[in-house]
Amino acid sequence: MTVLRRWPQVLWLTVVWVLLWGTISVKIVIGGVLVAVAVTALFPLPLLPRLPFRPWALLQLGGHLLADLVVSGAQVAWETLRYGPGARAGIVAVPLLTESERITTFVAAATALTPGSVVLQIDRAGGRLYVYTLGLRGPADATRVRRQMERLQDRMMRTLGEKR
Amino acid sequence: MITDVVSAVFLLLGALSCLLGALGLVRLPDLPARLQAATKPQTLGLLLILLGTAIRLEFENAATLILVILFQAVTAPVISQIVARSAYRTGTLDRDALVVDELAERMEREAREGGPAGRK
Repeated sequence: MTVLRRWPQVLWLTVVWVLLWGTISVKIVIGGVLVAVAVTALFPLPLLPRLPFRPWALLQLGGHLLADLVVSGAQVAWETLRYGPGARAGIVAVPLLTESERITTFVAAATALTPGSVVLQIDRAGGRLYVYTLGLRGPADATRVRRQMERLQDRMMRTLGEKR
Repeated sequence: MITDVVSAVFLLLGALSCLLGALGLVRLPDLPARLQAATKPQTLGLLLILLGTAIRLEFENAATLILVILFQAVTAPVISQIVARSAYRTGTLDRDALVVDELAERMEREAREGGPAGRK
């Protein structure tokens, strides 16, 4: 039974179901499990090796991402108000620290929360991410972006990486 | 009383953040820059507004709001990345507004050498 091996997905779908109902009762939980099993059995995703679960690291990562989002929002707002049409940006090549495709995906998604940045291009063969960042004033600021991305990748690997 | 004040502060900050995002959409020079305004202050604004709302609600009803912000946080980056990438490729990006462009340097080099320019 592959559904049994996909229990994390069943668990997650059941949680979403219960949250959507807004109340918790035996009937709703049973209904949620049935729907989750049906969805998992009918639309199977490829089975990947399970990610490590490190609650403390995950919590820290969440906290950092939240802080990034707040700084990000403020920074983009500042660019808008201070420079407006004259805002400057840059595209910086950042060395990719991980081989794993999944972690690369998570890093790319998390980049969208770091101040003013978004990943434009992933060069897996060359081990590089190309990151667009709003609010660069000169080539020297590229170093700051690289350092920021390095920290983000480091945190992501510490949370979801295979080994430490 | 205190929850009212805290809730109001969150709601107003959230609304301000959304307003600044909307302003960025109008004032910033090109598509990727506007994309930043559409994702960062908007997501932050939504988060603050939902927080403000959640404070006034009972826990049961507030739980659904967690899903709203979670899916927003998961989907917004994916979309912004795809749009930014297309913007770069189709040239809707204002190259004069860039102080560094290390991707262009690489694509030029690859074009010279006849390699595939920027495989994903």
